[in-house]
Amino acid sequence: MSHPIMIRTFADEVKGIPGGEHLELCYSCGTCVSKCMIQQKVEPDYNPRRLLRLAMMDMKEEAFESPTTWMCSECDLCYQACPQEIHISQVIAAVKQLAVDAGYTSPLTPVSVDEDLCSGCGICVMVCPYEAPSLFDKDLNGELDRLSQVDANKCMRCGTCVGACPLGAIAREGISNTDIQLQIPSEAMSIPDIITFVCDWSLREDADIQILERYPAHQVNVVHIPCTGRIDPQHALMALDSGVKGVLVCGCKPGECHFKRGNHVASCKLGLLDTMLKQIQPPHKEIRFVQIGTQERGRIRHEIDGMLTALTDNKEAK
Amino acid sequence: MVDAARQPRIDVRAYTEVEKVEGFVGNFKVTLREKAKHVLADRCNGCGDCAKVCPIEVPNHYELNLAPRKAAYVPMSQSVPLIYSIDLDACIHCYKCVEACGPLEAIDFSQEDKVVEEDIGAIVVATGFSHFDPTVMEEYGYGRFPNVITSMEMERLNNSAGPTMGNLIRPSDRKNPQRIAFINCVGSRDKRYIQACSNFCCMYSIKNAVLLKQMDPSVDITIYYMDIRTPSKGYEEFYDRAREMGIHFIQGRPSLITEDEETHNLFIHSEDITLGRVIENEYDMIMLNQAAIPQPDQNHMSSVLNVAQSPGGWFMEYHPKLRPMDSPTDGIFFAGACQGPKDIPSSVAQGSAAASRASRILLSEKWEIEPIVAVVWPERCTATTKGRACGLCVKACPYGAVVIEGDKPAEIITAKCHGCGGCVAECPDDAITQLHYTDAQILAQMRAVLADKPEEKILAFRCHWCSYGGADLAGTSHFEYTANERGLRVMCSARMDSDFIYEAYRLGAGAVLYSGCHPQDCHYITGQIIGAKRADRLKKIFDRMEMTEGRFRVEWISAAEGDKYARVLNEMQGVLDNMSPEQLQDEISRLKPDMEKRLRRLPGVPDVPEAMVYSDALVKAILQAKETA
Repeated sequence: MSHPIMIRTFADEVKGIPGGEHLELCYSCGTCVSKCMIQQKVEPDYNPRRLLRLAMMDMKEEAFESPTTWMCSECDLCYQACPQEIHISQVIAAVKQLAVDAGYTSPLTPVSVDEDLCSGCGICVMVCPYEAPSLFDKDLNGELDRLSQVDANKCMRCGTCVGACPLGAIAREGISNTDIQLQIPSEAMSIPDIITFVCDWSLREDADIQILERYPAHQVNVVHIPCTGRIDPQHALMALDSGVKGVLVCGCKPGECHFKRGNHVASCKLGLLDTMLKQIQPPHKEIRFVQIGTQERGRIRHEIDGMLTALTDNKEAK
Repeated sequence: MVDAARQPRIDVRAYTEVEKVEGFVGNFKVTLREKAKHVLADRCNGCGDCAKVCPIEVPNHYELNLAPRKAAYVPMSQSVPLIYSIDLDACIHCYKCVEACGPLEAIDFSQEDKVVEEDIGAIVVATGFSHFDPTVMEEYGYGRFPNVITSMEMERLNNSAGPTMGNLIRPSDRKNPQRIAFINCVGSRDKRYIQACSNFCCMYSIKNAVLLKQMDPSVDITIYYMDIRTPSKGYEEFYDRAREMGIHFIQGRPSLITEDEETHNLFIHSEDITLGRVIENEYDMIMLNQAAIPQPDQNHMSSVLNVAQSPGGWFMEYHPKLRPMDSPTDGIFFAGACQGPKDIPSSVAQGSAAASRASRILLSEKWEIEPIVAVVWPERCTATTKGRACGLCVKACPYGAVVIEGDKPAEIITAKCHGCGGCVAECPDDAITQLHYTDAQILAQMRAVLADKPEEKILAFRCHWCSYGGADLAGTSHFEYTANERGLRVMCSARMDSDFIYEAYRLGAGAVLYSGCHPQDCHYITGQIIGAKRADRLKKIFDRMEMTEGRFRVEWISAAEGDKYARVLNEMQGVLDNMSPEQLQDEISRLKPDMEKRLRRLPGVPDVPEAMVYSDALVKAILQAKETA
């Protein structure tokens, strides 16, 4: 005998959406909250456990207004850790879908597309892990022009599209091409040995970030990016051109990317760049891509020290 | 243990495995393999000189590999009986031990395993439990971070007879830890590993924390928990005492442990649920309270003893509430954690109960069982008629009471039979019958009930333990239900033969209810499962015959569900009321030839007067058979 699902409460609505079924299995152990890095790094009110609880207790408005609903980037680190095997990101996605249907909008500022520059090539559509950009035809004085537009409720601001756009038509505050170029030292006096592009999520501990900051400016210069998917090979090449000896890109371990697959995009790009560099064989120059896991506390020190010694050894040998 | 070994009537067989258990209550034949110790038990005085001279060191399993032992060893210093053994896998045959043993001449390298058979009256199983291996939980880093240890390892380190003489030290630098954390529910209450709660770890971690705090009050101790469960007498007070002593409790399951590579200090990342905030605390040492799991060879033991396992792998008790120390097989009892994780008081209580149950068997000359047992009619069994037994009865028996040896007809070990009647209903050749519930008796009841206006009647088959109770409750609670119901009692839904159902429809019954216990409540372990499978089959057959839906109904009704019983019957009456008398009559006569065809057994079953003779003859035959035996 089949039991028809009676939708009476908000919890029922959430459970009725594929992915939301296991909502009520949560016994509030808090594993998801501490596995996720958003609360520690960005938003103190972010708490998936509490969002599930809000949904369970039918507190609809509060659930829709909670930052958790809008900030979860579906990295699924919590799903792997959840002892009740609840696919938490899907439950959150179900709540988000209901919120969008109810007319709520994301408090996050999405990336913006400069329509004068956009050629409608569709690369952003391909690289986006969240299916936020889409192509549409705009009527310009009788002529149809194919352009990209970004769904504000889907964009998680990882910047993968910013790094991928061949015309620089997509921008996000803080990480547009000019912002990053400004961070790369160009004056001959202040050129460091290494430039590290560090994704905001790969270094879990404050201690690790402090390690980076402790290096003197003539040795290591740090450029913060939201995700290694934002890496533009141009920046690496510009840095090498200006006299930097090595470029270290630091991202998350495969499977642990905060933005689903930004690190995969980066490894594709950097793999190609590496092949290219090998053909040119520029003297004393190196690009490295390291992927640091959640438990690898202190590994960044080894990586940077290793690269510094490699570069100095290289120099002396030559 | 020493006391027990000194008792003249207790025989301790150490280093011995149970290979085979045959027979039944009071008459078990148990095959034991006494493994070769290479030391003669009657000569060894336990002086340990052989171990002193032995040059070989191997990891000590008893010390959880935290210390070495020699190839000539006793498993632990308090071993009973205190007889050394030689580990031939590690031995290099230097024979120094033989020299050291000297005139005692206790060491004998030619010794081999000895297989002995013993007559046993009752068996008490007390094989205990094992521990979940936290290495698979990568997030806690056990096995990679030296200062993450299990609580069992901490017990050894903290034991005055242990490898460090009771000095709790960090494996990485041998310093005494000042900040200690315990993590509860490692592997337990976790669907990825062990779903169940391990019962005793909350109290166990509080006990350890109090112990460490008493030894050194300056030590800072934190317990990470999901829920603290203190259900028994005095437990909550103990938990209070621990908090008064200054032990910290943090609610929140840690998601990650990281390690500082220089100091080897550890960081626990967890949410403090009370604050709703993520915290990261530094500790010198972390102890994991692993889940309790069944012994690794529990499956093997289960097949040796012919005892079923509950979900999770533990041995299954006869009844979770009323007979937790009994196994479904008479004469086999459980003590302690082999039946499910439990703490010391419960284990002691269960052990004492099991011992008294066992002694009841040993002290009685006769063992009384219920008279409702199955009996085989050997000349009808396919083994006799076709040369080979079909074996359906063996499959149906939840107790292993039906035995088929080679080409011989099936035989029932009466002492093992509990009388569910599953084999009786499953036998396609009607070769097995159940005393007090013979086919003839049940058919006679049915024929009497359906003699007059059968199309108005609803025939309800109820199992003795649940649905019959449910019907009783409906009556005593004065729930109104249709007066056309006619109830028939059988012991279990497994006994509800498909032929009874066909016969009911052949006789023109209006509707038939097939009811029994809920799947997990069956009095006969798996009887309901056998009944439910048959009911499914019948339902499909009747659907193919295009019988009106609701005329055959399968419901699992417990003894507490009187209201459900009344409701179901009223709904069935509703189905009959919705059909016009002609319609019903048409359907009955349309299906009658089909039913007759399916009744292959009926010609063999005698009618009422014959049935009396048949039953009497049967009982006489059994009594005779017993006398001759």
